[in-house]
Amino acid sequence: MADPFKPRAPFAPWDRRQLPGLFDVEETARRVGNYKWAEMKLFEALGGWVATVPELDVKMRLGTHCYHHAWHAELWHKRLPELREMNPDRLTQPANDTLVEFVAALTEPEAPDQTIEKLVGVYRVFIPHFISAYTFHMNNTSEITDAPTIRTLKLALIDEFDDWRDGEMMLQSLIDTPEEVDRAAAHQARLEKLIVAAGGIAGPGSIGGN
Amino acid sequence: MRKFFPVDSLARDSRFNQITMRQSQADPRTVLVGTDAKQRPNSNRLTPQRPDASDRARGLMHGIFVGEIQALEGAGRTCFDFETGAGDSTDNVPFALKLDMARQAWDEARHVEISVKLSEWMGTEIGQYAENTVLFEAACSTDPVLRLAGVNRALEGLAIDVFTTMKEFGDIAGDPYLEFCEDWMLADEVTHVKMGSDWLRRITENDPERRKKALEFQSVVDKIFSFGGTRSDSDESPIGLARRFRELAGFSDDEVEDIATVSLAALEERKAFAARARADAVDQFSAS
Repeated sequence: MADPFKPRAPFAPWDRRQLPGLFDVEETARRVGNYKWAEMKLFEALGGWVATVPELDVKMRLGTHCYHHAWHAELWHKRLPELREMNPDRLTQPANDTLVEFVAALTEPEAPDQTIEKLVGVYRVFIPHFISAYTFHMNNTSEITDAPTIRTLKLALIDEFDDWRDGEMMLQSLIDTPEEVDRAAAHQARLEKLIVAAGGIAGPGSIGGN
Repeated sequence: MRKFFPVDSLARDSRFNQITMRQSQADPRTVLVGTDAKQRPNSNRLTPQRPDASDRARGLMHGIFVGEIQALEGAGRTCFDFETGAGDSTDNVPFALKLDMARQAWDEARHVEISVKLSEWMGTEIGQYAENTVLFEAACSTDPVLRLAGVNRALEGLAIDVFTTMKEFGDIAGDPYLEFCEDWMLADEVTHVKMGSDWLRRITENDPERRKKALEFQSVVDKIFSFGGTRSDSDESPIGLARRFRELAGFSDDEVEDIATVSLAALEERKAFAARARADAVDQFSAS
């Protein structure tokens, strides 16, 4: 056995984590507050839609995914005080007014024959924007100082990818005709324009640039 | 999407047939209405020895299945219908309560999955029995505290009784698959009832009037969910009162006694209703 008292490097050769990161504490808290707000709006919408969709398999998936996003909101809620925000509600805000408009448009469909629109909004627009914003944050924050945020991002991303796949599978099984393809595309375009105008779920700079 | 979704708009595929509580209670195939008192068995409790045990168990499982769908829908609506706030008025609920409702939505979605598979196992098709929508009606209140009282304490409390009965049925009938699944669902339901009890106490801590109103609503729903005597301590009821699991879920001894009294009263009312229905039928037949 190697000598247990022989000095070793504090970082093992395979541990390449770096100190620098793009976000300071304040900016991280702002983003986390935006994430929490967006996850809340998503789980509320999913919960509300359960009663409005006639397709039994979709109904059950929406109920399951509702909890996933509620759990993400809870994780972000718990992270805020660790980022010096002792009143989490203060930062639980939309990134801007356009994102509020986006959520209003997302939650507009109610009729039982609008399952395609409901699923398109969540799985082809909102969740892909969560995936991109979370991935950008995870890859650009300090791997050492902000490790707790990275852990939450990784856990949330597992759900986001799984839910996106579920949603896309449901959509492909529901879209049968060219007209339905057009419906899905038109609704996606309408919502995508709004979220692009908002800059993403954390506003401009959600995935860098700007 | 509007806030507060009406029960008659619940979305279902073409296999489902929805009926009201009144239609359900007037169903001539039910034991209390359709059979002469002298021919009724001494016990209506669901046991494998009953000649109609197979159909009764399948019917009950289908009832669980549609009940779980409505419980899922109700929990989901509570996530959406109210703003997030301190819970000090009827238009808002605390963030943590919404998280509990989302958790419940996931649990109920699993229960739908479980009951679909159990129904298949028992040889039942979706829609083979009617869907009574009274469960979702209790989730339509505009006061979230009333929803907690009506759904989490009354409805989920009934679920504790039903799952206990089905678990015992699975045990006696030698069906470990049924017993295993019912036991898992029972664990979740105890959690949901406790959730409702805890939130009811916390939200109405400084509002005794609101608490009183909620408990009165719960009592009404308990009576309705006794399904005219379907659930009570009496052997005349197919479903028993699961006292031990109710204690685990946070019901006090007094509360369990109150439910037992209400359930027995519902049974007696139902029997009186059945006697009147029979008498009316005889009169109509004699007159024709």
